[in-house]
Amino acid sequence: MAEPLALILREQFHAPEQQRETATLGMWIFISTEIMLFGGLFLAFSVYRMYYPQAFIAGSADMNIALGATNTAVLICSSFTMALGVHSAEVGGRKLLNLFLALTMILGAVFLGIKFTEYYLHYLDHRVPGPGFLFPSADPPKAEMFFLLYFIMTGLHALHMFVGEGILFSMILRNRAGSFSAEYHTPVVLAGLYWHFVDVIWVFLFAIFYIEGLHLHKW
Amino acid sequence: MAQPIVSKKTYALTFGTLLGITALTTLLGFIDMGSLNTVVAVGLAGVKACLIAGFFMHGFYESRTVRIAMIAGVAWFLIMISLTLVDYASRFW
Repeated sequence: MAEPLALILREQFHAPEQQRETATLGMWIFISTEIMLFGGLFLAFSVYRMYYPQAFIAGSADMNIALGATNTAVLICSSFTMALGVHSAEVGGRKLLNLFLALTMILGAVFLGIKFTEYYLHYLDHRVPGPGFLFPSADPPKAEMFFLLYFIMTGLHALHMFVGEGILFSMILRNRAGSFSAEYHTPVVLAGLYWHFVDVIWVFLFAIFYIEGLHLHKW
Repeated sequence: MAQPIVSKKTYALTFGTLLGITALTTLLGFIDMGSLNTVVAVGLAGVKACLIAGFFMHGFYESRTVRIAMIAGVAWFLIMISLTLVDYASRFW
């Protein structure tokens, strides 16, 4: 059953387009606060990266590039299925929207699975910061800083992925209840904005944690 | 102003380009270019971020009001990171 017209256009707006733009603007202001949240961590990384360049490049060379690059590709695929989902919502294809939302959720779960496999491998290698930390270099505490930032930043990113999975699941439920149509599908678009933003964050995490020390990678 | 529907072809082209840049980033990462490695890695990540924000997130199609909010977050982040790094880099001068 479709939502009644009164719910589609709320009384404070004079046109559906104004309502859509207001919601989009609100979402972008929220994303700006998220940029500030991750921005502080990127700033901390940059400062330590500038002070301890060798330790940070050695830490980066220790990353598993195969898993990291695969995960980047998986996340880009999930952004593509999300974009196709938004397209389906815009043209009113409810079944296709369900399919693309589910595909996006599956790809997100694959990403998280690979990410936690990596965490487990770091754990086996004693790369988790703390009393058991081991790193074959001249100055392990500086490399420990690299791994600390790595776990905090990718961990916060993974937390955002879990939230994104929850949002996508609620979109599937609302779509199944018939809440979305070609005229009203703003929540799907906003869920998409969140998902793409989390993808953008990963693109930068991939660059600073995996690529920087790749040329020193030991096989 | 109603928002235009972005075509599936545009999304597919964006998707292909993003995968291509990811492969390029990874391949270039194996070459030792000194401090250029960081510049190339973060620069290509920036290009990917622009493609995602522009096409997937409809940045190229939104109204000016929404674009201001998009740019504001990034602009303040760039101010924060550049001024702080200038501070830390010049402390031992």
